[in-house]
Amino acid sequence: MSAIITITRAGPLTTVQDAGRFGQLRHGISASGPMDGVAYRLAGALAGADHGGIEITMAGIGLRLQSGQCRVGLAGGRFDARHNGVMLDWPGAVSLAAGDELTVMPGTAGNYGYLRFDGAPVLPAVMGSLATSSRARLGGLEGRPLQVSDVLELADAAGPAPQAVTARLAETGPIRFVWGLHADLFTSPVRQRFVTTPFVISRQLDRMGVRLTDAGGVFADATILSLASDAIVPGDIQILGDGTPIVLMRDHQPTGGYLRIGTIISADLDRFAQLRPGTDIAFSSVSVVHAQQILRSQSP
Amino acid sequence: MTGSSVTDTFPTPTIAPLGDAALLVRFGTALTDSANRAAIALVALLQRAPVPGVVEVAPSLVSVLLRYDPLTAAAADIAAELRLRLYALAAAAPPPGREWTIPIRFDGPDFDSVADALKLRPAAFIAAHNGAPLRVLATGFAPGFVYCGLHAEALVLPRRTEVRPMVPAGTVLFAAGQTAITATELPTGWHVIGSTEFKNFDPAAEPPTQLSPGDRVSFTAAP
Repeated sequence: MSAIITITRAGPLTTVQDAGRFGQLRHGISASGPMDGVAYRLAGALAGADHGGIEITMAGIGLRLQSGQCRVGLAGGRFDARHNGVMLDWPGAVSLAAGDELTVMPGTAGNYGYLRFDGAPVLPAVMGSLATSSRARLGGLEGRPLQVSDVLELADAAGPAPQAVTARLAETGPIRFVWGLHADLFTSPVRQRFVTTPFVISRQLDRMGVRLTDAGGVFADATILSLASDAIVPGDIQILGDGTPIVLMRDHQPTGGYLRIGTIISADLDRFAQLRPGTDIAFSSVSVVHAQQILRSQSP
Repeated sequence: MTGSSVTDTFPTPTIAPLGDAALLVRFGTALTDSANRAAIALVALLQRAPVPGVVEVAPSLVSVLLRYDPLTAAAADIAAELRLRLYALAAAAPPPGREWTIPIRFDGPDFDSVADALKLRPAAFIAAHNGAPLRVLATGFAPGFVYCGLHAEALVLPRRTEVRPMVPAGTVLFAAGQTAITATELPTGWHVIGSTEFKNFDPAAEPPTQLSPGDRVSFTAAP
């Protein structure tokens, strides 16, 4: 049975996402999609979700089921979720009936959480996808973040049966990357220091990119080179002209001309997205073949 | 991965991994006419003879991105297939491209200073700017954004030293031997020389943009 949801509280940059709007780079649109794809899929399995869902940020979300009923899967980071005041497991799942309140408050870890439903959000697909692009301001609900009083309709449940899956223990340790397009334009000592010096996740992070604090001054002597812009992929570690490293994320600019020293591997990008400001990180290089082996070993 | 020599007319390409799910073929690091023509020709070739496992091909000014599924495809296999196609690039027919006429109102705030810097009277700058059709060099910087070029050496100016925080869709930009057209609001360090009614981005249309790399554009002065 379909359902109507009203948003009663929304943290900044709460967005509707689906797997992503792929294949549109030549039109100037990066794919968007969940910042933590592993958690998005886990929430989907817990809900028995059709496509699409809500990505929440650290501040959480509140919603009320106006009518109908639905099953909600919850995953990503560690949030404090309550159903009509009763604490829920996170990750977990809950069935909502008309009038029920679901409250998700900030928790102990992570930047992004996911609410997915057994019925898909009823929204127009833009270029084949529901994903909200904060850069291109399209998709989702009118191309914008969700706000208080927004109403979301969910279609009849059409997903697979829910699964009682558990979260895989999150990998810890260095963030692994493959050397990038312009690695050879950095001196050997800078490359060496890049993998031996800790960086810190700064407060300047969003769906487009995560700025790192380079307290060790690895890129203090950065120079600006005049390069023709090339395509960007999520995870690219770009060094701005002033030496600030920035990791480009799901709503990345489609092309860029700054130096890129490396690209975070697909298997580690979800985990990287969840690191909160102030977290120390270390980078460790792997080969492309190794990166793909790690990804395959993680896949169900 | 190593480069492979393909042709006298196109620069030698290099194939480099871009993360663990894409390869980038580069014909140079700076914009040149031949590197841009090579990138456009490669995209056309890859449309005619797709590389198995590649899920998206996206051209930039002097490079081409090939995205693949890292769960099912190996970078080495894609690179090997790609090298076979690069050998045939020189002999490949250039893509036909479409012809476009785009009227411009030369009413931008930097129009006069650009004409001055080029030591041309306004009418002479417009005549020189519109004198020869330009090639769509690349798309993809932003939704519907197009780079057109290359202008003759006498029309080459560096970018502005300051970035304008936001210009509207339909702004005509000029710098670095190119004329570019915005299709969404964006900040720019290019000279704003005019505006156009031409809209190159409609998210509800299929495809959402009209101009493709390799197309030819004739600019006219809008009344």
